[in-house]
Amino acid sequence: MRVIILSWEFPPRMVGQLAGYVKELALQLVKRNVETHVVTYHDFLTGEHGEPGGVMTYRVTNPVRTHIGVLTWVLTLNQEVERAAANIYYKADKKINLIDVYDWHFIQSAVTLKKAFNLPFIYSVESLEEHRSHGANYPFNMAIKSLEWLGLYEAKKVIVKSEWMRDEVVRIYHVPINKIRIVTPESKTWIKNVLETYNSVAGDAVPK
Amino acid sequence: MTQELTVMMLTWEFPPRIIGGISPHVYHLSKNLVRNNVKVYVVTCDFPGAPQHETVSGVEIFRIDSYKNPSPDFATWVYLMNVNMQKEAAALINRLGGKVDIIHAHDWLVANAGIGLKHVFRKPLLATIHSTEVGRRNGIHFDYERMIHETEAWLTYEAWKVICCSNYMVSHVRWAFGLPKDKLDMVPNGVNLQEYAGNKNADLTQFRRKFALPAEKLVLFVGRLVYEKGIQVFVNAIPKVLEKVNAKFVIVGNGYMKEPLLNLVKSMGLSHKVMFTGFVDDNTLKNLQKCADVSVVPSLFEPFGIVALEAMAAKSPVVVSDTGGLSEIVEHGVTGVKVYPENPVSLAWGITKVLLDKKYAGWISTNAFKRMQEKYDWNKISQQTKAVCQAVLNEYSRSFWA
Repeated sequence: MRVIILSWEFPPRMVGQLAGYVKELALQLVKRNVETHVVTYHDFLTGEHGEPGGVMTYRVTNPVRTHIGVLTWVLTLNQEVERAAANIYYKADKKINLIDVYDWHFIQSAVTLKKAFNLPFIYSVESLEEHRSHGANYPFNMAIKSLEWLGLYEAKKVIVKSEWMRDEVVRIYHVPINKIRIVTPESKTWIKNVLETYNSVAGDAVPK
Repeated sequence: MTQELTVMMLTWEFPPRIIGGISPHVYHLSKNLVRNNVKVYVVTCDFPGAPQHETVSGVEIFRIDSYKNPSPDFATWVYLMNVNMQKEAAALINRLGGKVDIIHAHDWLVANAGIGLKHVFRKPLLATIHSTEVGRRNGIHFDYERMIHETEAWLTYEAWKVICCSNYMVSHVRWAFGLPKDKLDMVPNGVNLQEYAGNKNADLTQFRRKFALPAEKLVLFVGRLVYEKGIQVFVNAIPKVLEKVNAKFVIVGNGYMKEPLLNLVKSMGLSHKVMFTGFVDDNTLKNLQKCADVSVVPSLFEPFGIVALEAMAAKSPVVVSDTGGLSEIVEHGVTGVKVYPENPVSLAWGITKVLLDKKYAGWISTNAFKRMQEKYDWNKISQQTKAVCQAVLNEYSRSFWA
């Protein structure tokens, strides 16, 4: 299986808990023979490309340097993420099984790649704008929520880490409950559950 | 009919959605490209009442759901709208089996979608830069403006070639973004002459009387009433013209300078000689341009100057300030009169010259109309654009993406 993970944080760049989680996941996937590509943000402390522990990482940077906030920053970074992902896609002879996208940042890329190449994607929810902004609903929050909605709508499956988060996704975005999989990192069957979800999405399209 | 070339146009405005000059530009360009055997898809923002998908004059138009939640600001809305535009355009190219040769983006307003599609489908990107942030704002002063400026720079960087509508804009864009000379091409803007042909026998005498007395010459200004359009220069030229000619000055358009201008005109004691019409409908505008004894374009900054071309198409003699794109449109003493920018004395001289010499006025407007047909005809412009596309494809065919 060949997977592209899109995450705006990845070690050594750590913003929250997501970076560590994605790294651990990628390493475990590699161990289980999943060819894992991670596209993430380049903060100039690391090279553009690396293979730590067999995980192929691609770091892109924002072509528009000046920004008025995190929202515009994210929205212009996506095209570089798409460029990196498309390069992986073409280099792999168009044989990518699925995209796993973390939180709202790179939803734009995941959706475009889906529409362009019929690539299925999983939306892994780490946190939601509703909770991050304590229910604030300024145009800024609304924009992020609309991207979260787009991701949940277009995703083939949604992965959450707890029952509580599953219920929140259903409550806020009215996602059908059977579209959501709970995969707890603390569980002993964690990576097995992730792979099961991956396989259910990738279907028969496994090329390798 | 088999089409040799397929172009996907990305534009934030397309009729019936008309905000500025890009909408009519893309409309005429697309229509005439189709006439020249090019398959054209237009992906644009939706508009109340306009269908999501339609074919107009052979142009296939797809209207996307532009982001409609309240936005923090205009630029953020643009980026959010691009999420949808890119998504829909990607789905469309996928449905077409990748059968699109070139993606053609108009201004930074569709930069994200154009650049994303370029990399995802590995197709060449062509950009037309109609205007720049640094030109519009006369410099870059805030982060917001710099962000837009850098987005424009990003678009020109990612584009295979950049088209500008005047030599002035070519050099301006080169300066603003530091582009190599061979990346830029000049293809002028155009005017559809048929729209001005109308009914030749139509009598505009009654129409003209609504604006000016039969004894008065009609001097016309069309444009937004903002500083860079030089409307204040125009108003200050009025007394000097009236010393020599009896005329009525008709000012069409709105803008933040309307109130101060009204006060200025009043204080000059010229209210009976100046008429502010505000916005007028398309038909009234064209008739006014046909009636005008002279059309004046006194701009201080002008990337192209389409209003001068429109006046020429209506066979009205033009007086323009010698700046930007206007300098190229008008050949002094042949197709119009050029005057010093920001100089009411010079402007009054130009207007008076045209008004007092009917033969001269007729001669320059006849020349201008001929020049229009030669240079600013949409069919020819689309052929030039097609040639740029073919040059891009020729280079592209030798790249590893092909």
